[in-house]
Amino acid sequence: MTDARGRVAIVTGGGRGIGRAIVERLHRDGATVVTCGRGERPADLPRDIVWITGDVSRPQDARHIVAGAARHGDVAVLVNNAGIQIEKTVAETTDDDWDRLIGANCRGVFNMCREVLPLMAERGGDIVNLGSISAMVADPSMAIYNASKGFVHSLTRSIAVDHGPNVRCNAVSPGWIMTEMAENGFALARDPQKAQDDSLARHPARRFGKPEDIANAVAWLISAESAFVTGQCITIDGGLTAASPLQPGLF
Amino acid sequence: MAGRLEGKVAFVTGGRGGIGRAICARFVREGAAVYAADLSDAGSMASAVEDDVRFVRLDVTSEEEAVAAMATVGAQSGKLDILVNAAGIELEKTVEHTTLDEWNRSFAVNVTGTFLASKHALPLLRKAASGGTTASIINFGSYDGFIADPGLAAYCATKGAVHALTRAMAVDHGPEGIRVNAVCPGYVDTPMLQGFFSGAGSGGGGGTIDSLKEAVRNVHPIRNYGTPDDIANLVNWLASDEARYATGQLWVLDGGLSAQVQQMRL
Repeated sequence: MTDARGRVAIVTGGGRGIGRAIVERLHRDGATVVTCGRGERPADLPRDIVWITGDVSRPQDARHIVAGAARHGDVAVLVNNAGIQIEKTVAETTDDDWDRLIGANCRGVFNMCREVLPLMAERGGDIVNLGSISAMVADPSMAIYNASKGFVHSLTRSIAVDHGPNVRCNAVSPGWIMTEMAENGFALARDPQKAQDDSLARHPARRFGKPEDIANAVAWLISAESAFVTGQCITIDGGLTAASPLQPGLF
Repeated sequence: MAGRLEGKVAFVTGGRGGIGRAICARFVREGAAVYAADLSDAGSMASAVEDDVRFVRLDVTSEEEAVAAMATVGAQSGKLDILVNAAGIELEKTVEHTTLDEWNRSFAVNVTGTFLASKHALPLLRKAASGGTTASIINFGSYDGFIADPGLAAYCATKGAVHALTRAMAVDHGPEGIRVNAVCPGYVDTPMLQGFFSGAGSGGGGGTIDSLKEAVRNVHPIRNYGTPDDIANLVNWLASDEARYATGQLWVLDGGLSAQVQQMRL
């Protein structure tokens, strides 16, 4: 267990999925956790987690979220988890798709970082962004999602370079994390069991990721144990991208 | 139209093997004087071929033979513009099943061979570079130097070593006008690949070679594996003066294989 006692941490998009696991982990580590989302507060969110309704893609909402968090103390941690996914090629992508996806995944990360950096300038702080293995290798029919994560990786390095030494900035790049979204994908396969077996065989860890795997990495990256780590994009994918995409033995 | 390599002298290790032959043939067409070095004039192929290439017997793991081969080039041509280190072997085993001898042999051919040929070619490469153009060393890395195929541990490790050596030599010899790059092929149709298809290491899963080949093609975004000519196209460019600003780079040529996340067969 890592120690985040007394720190105010903002986790965007913490209502469910990976974000929710990060929220609960940082809360267990002792942080005062503030999370946000576009909708109302989820009914099952633990009572002492602060919820602020807001859309990170809108600068005024980002300002409102950070100001709300600052009422609980000095903001020491920002985890940019909020993001959306649109399953389309470039040819299929509409202007509206672009605005929504780039708004959430790129502009949202930028808005939140721009708001917290002045607060972290003196007392320091730790920023962790959610990148993706998709920033390095392409998932099919996810063109601007993949590209948006490339933006996140580059911005992570830029913030580390420009705002060190007081602020550290790193990214966690998840592979396949078993969420409702992934389960729905398998349900649609011609042979769901075979699809799942095939996918598992491509993971040296022989299992899919869990939201907690990502939360573990985030907790470490905001802890004193990682004090010399900055500007890095850390892949947490059960070994998926260390292996060749071509494994004839699996066909 | 004059060839891109008119007046240049090239030396290709593994020059009688699958990819090596394609490189030598292309170099000849582009106007270079070409030495093909290999264990025999048939190389890894079934038989020898008649062409305008000078065959030099060379075991790349032997320093003595590397010295002698470069002495031959020096005596006959007086300089060397292009060195291609294409000799290589593949061992289909995990670390646990690899013997120390097999491990050492993999490194001797793939890494030490690249080192020895480069070391003894450097004086001749410098002579070529002093003529106002750059000289070029092209090593053979592999996409396996970045991501692992199963059951190829020593091979993957040797290719990682070649990648690092490529950068190191580029840094050390750039000031002398010698460029050093590596081509990193994915799946290319050679005896090595055919051996992989039929070998135990590929775990063919009972599939026929044809079904296996089809499956392999379909995993590539470009829906095919490469040919030796595809590799020769890149090597030719890297060897030419058009690539005079290209050095220290690892050129992946794999039909897009490593650009994608592993394809899940849903």
